[in-house]
Amino acid sequence: MDSSEGLSPITYLHLASRNLVRNRRRTLITLLTMIFGIATLTLLSALNDGWLSQMKTNFILSYTGHLQIHATGFEASQNLSDRIQEPEEVSKLMQSYPEIVGWTQRIRTSGLASVGGSSAGVQVMATDPEQETWVTSMDQRVTSGTWLRPGISHDLILGYTVAQNLGAELGDRVILMVQRLNGEMVSDVFFLRGILETGAPQIDRSLALVSLNSAQQWLQMGDSVTDIVIRADIHEHTDDLYRLFTQQLSEHKYEIMPWQELDPMVRQWLEFSDAYGFVILLVVIILVIIEILNTMLIALHERQKELGVIVAIGTTRIRIFLMLLLEAVMLIFIGAILGYLAGSLLVYSLADTGINLTRFANAFEFFYMDPVIHPQLTQDSAVKILSATLIAALLAGLYPAWRATHLSLSQALRIQ
Amino acid sequence: MGNNQDSSIIYLRGLHKCYWVGTMPFPALHGLDLDIAPGEFAVVAGRSGSGKSTLLNIVGALESADSGRVEVLGQDILGMNSEQRTRFRLHNIGFVFQAYNLIRVFTARENVAYVCQLQGKSRKESMEIANHWLHEVEIGHLGYRRPDQLSGGQQQRVAVARALASNPKLILADEPTANLDSMTGRHLIRLMHELNHRFGTTFLISSHDPDVKQAAGRLIKLADGQIVESWEEVPEPPQSLSASCPANHLPLGERVRNYIKTRKQSRARKRRGGNQRRS
Ligand SMILES: Nc1ncnc2c1ncn2[C@@H]1O[C@H](COP(=O)(O)OP(=O)(O)OP(=O)(O)O)[C@@H](O)[C@H]1O
Ligand SMILES: [Mg+2]
Repeated sequence: MDSSEGLSPITYLHLASRNLVRNRRRTLITLLTMIFGIATLTLLSALNDGWLSQMKTNFILSYTGHLQIHATGFEASQNLSDRIQEPEEVSKLMQSYPEIVGWTQRIRTSGLASVGGSSAGVQVMATDPEQETWVTSMDQRVTSGTWLRPGISHDLILGYTVAQNLGAELGDRVILMVQRLNGEMVSDVFFLRGILETGAPQIDRSLALVSLNSAQQWLQMGDSVTDIVIRADIHEHTDDLYRLFTQQLSEHKYEIMPWQELDPMVRQWLEFSDAYGFVILLVVIILVIIEILNTMLIALHERQKELGVIVAIGTTRIRIFLMLLLEAVMLIFIGAILGYLAGSLLVYSLADTGINLTRFANAFEFFYMDPVIHPQLTQDSAVKILSATLIAALLAGLYPAWRATHLSLSQALRIQ
Repeated sequence: MGNNQDSSIIYLRGLHKCYWVGTMPFPALHGLDLDIAPGEFAVVAGRSGSGKSTLLNIVGALESADSGRVEVLGQDILGMNSEQRTRFRLHNIGFVFQAYNLIRVFTARENVAYVCQLQGKSRKESMEIANHWLHEVEIGHLGYRRPDQLSGGQQQRVAVARALASNPKLILADEPTANLDSMTGRHLIRLMHELNHRFGTTFLISSHDPDVKQAAGRLIKLADGQIVESWEEVPEPPQSLSASCPANHLPLGERVRNYIKTRKQSRARKRRGGNQRRS
C-alpha cells in the first residue's frame, strides 16, 4: 500500500464510535450483557481468591508454617536419624531476614499413647512452647485445658479425636512410647494439660504435643531437632525466603520445603481451584465471544450496502477489516472495563461482611475453611480477566471483519 | 486494437457476463461493444434486468466480466487484481448509486472529505475540498448535517459532490434519480449536466427515467444484455452557464486551489478586521 494514502486513525475512531452510538440500543444491550458477565467473573474469581487465601492462612497457621527446613531425606523417611544436628547453623540466619516474623524448632516422630487400657498410634511432636506461638496458632486452638507451660517438662496436649478415642480427660496420666535414635523403645508418663482442635482431621486424629526440652532429653537427642519451622510476614514472601535459604544452606545437608509441598492435599486443592477459576473464565469468555460475534454480524448485515459503497469508492479491504475490528475491540474494551469496575464494586461491598456459608458449613469444615468467605481482588485475576477479554475481543472481531472483506460487491450494491 | 481505443474513455468489445446461482445461469450481458468519448454525457436505458447495473459495475471495476475487452481510461481493468482495482476506482472514477450512497454516521462534509482522505490528503485540506464541492452542488450550507437529516435529493447531491471531489475523469451513476420525485430528479440531472459541461467530466448514467433520457447527450438502449439502439446528440454547451462562469475553462485542480485560496484570504481578512476593531 502506498504510504502517502491513508485515513487518519481519528477517522477510524470516529467511524467506529459513531457506529456504536448510532445503534445505541444494541450497543447498550451488548454492553450490559458483557458487564454482567465480566462483573460475575470478577466476583467469582474474587471469591475464589478470598477462599484460597483464607485456606492458605488457616493451613499455614494451624500447623506447617510457611517454610520448613529438615535434614535432607527426613520428609520421606520420617526417621530420627535424618535430623538436624547443628540447628545453630540454621537458626543464626533467622535474624538477618525481616520477612521472618517467627520460627521454632520441632522434633517429630511416631509413637504410641495409652491411657488406662486403651492405646492409639500418635504423631509425637515436640516444640518450644513460646516460640511456637509466633509461628502457628496452635495455642489458640486449645479448646479445653491450657497450652504447654514453658519450663515444665511433662505437659502433654492431645488432638481432639485422639483424646476421644483414648477416653483421656484433662489431668489424666498418659503413657507415651517412642523409639530412641539407637532403636531402644522408651516410655514415659505425661499429664494431659490440654486438648487441641484444629479442624484438620489428620492433625486432630494423631497429634501428641510435648515440649522440646523434655523430648530432647527423653530421646537423648542433645540439641538436635527434626524441623525448623518458619513463618513469613505475608504468604507472598514464601518464595523469596525459599530462595534465600536454598542459597545459604547446603543442599546435601538440608531440605527446604515451602508449605505447598508439605501437604499433597493442599496442593491438589490449589490445583483444583485453579482449574475451577479457569473453567469460569472460559465460560464467561465464550459467552462474551458469542455476544460480540452476534452483534458484529448483525451490524455487518445491516451495513452491507454501506460497506459496498465504501469499498466501491476506493477503500481497500484491509481498511474495511480494520474499521470493523476496531468497532468490536472498542465495544469489548468498554464492556470489559465497565464490567470489571462493576465487579470490583461488588467485591468491595462484600469484602468486609463476607458471604456467610454457615448453612453449608458442614461440607466445608473439613478443610481449613471458614464458613464466611471474604472476596478478594488480586492483581493476578485482574490481569487474567482483562487480557482474556481482550483476546476474546480480537477473536470475536476477526471473523466479522474478515467476512466484511469478502463482501460480494455485485450483491451488496444491488440492495435497494 | 483499433484507433478508437486511444480516443475513447470507455472501450468495450465483446463483453460477456453471466451470473450463476448454484447451477442456474443468469445471463446479464451478451457480446456488448461500446465506445464512450471523453466529455460525453451518456445515458444507458433499458428495462429492469436488461443489464444496466452490470454494465456500469464492470466499467467501474467493481465486478469482473466473463470475457471481452474492457479498457477504461486506456487501462485494461479486467487484468487488474482487487487491490489495483480499488486504487483505480479511487483515483479515476466517481460513483453515484441509487440510494444509501452515504456513510450514515458521517456528516455530508465528512462523507465528501472521506474520499480525499483516502487519496492521502490531510483532514483539513479534505474538509476544504468538501466545502468547495458541496457549494458546487448548491448545498454548501448543509455540510454539517448527517444523511438522515437530509432529503433524498440533497443526499444525492452529496453523493455527486463526493464523486467529483476525488477529481475523476469518469462518473458512473446507477439510477441516481430512481428514488427521487420527478421534480427533484430533474434538478439533479440538470446539475450533473452542468457539471459535465463546466468540468468536462464524462458521465455514464443508467436510468429508465424519461427526464434523464431527455437530457442525454447520447442514449444507449440495452435489451437482454445487448445494445439495441444508440443515438448521439451533438453536444451544445448551455449558453447561459458558460457565459456566466468564465472560470470554467480552467482545469479542475486549478479551480479547487483557487477556491481554497479565496476562502483563506477572506478568512484572513475577517481576522484582521476583528483585530483592528479590538485594538
Ligand atoms: N448477484 C446476482 N446474482 C444473480 N443474478 C444477478 C445478480 N445481479 C444481477 N443478476 C441478473 O443479471 C441480470 C442483469 O441485472 P442488472 O442488475 O444489471 O439489471 P438492471 O438493468 O440494472 O436492472 P434494474 O433496472 O432492475 O436495476 C438480471 O437478469 C439479474 O437478475
Ligand atoms: Mg440496476
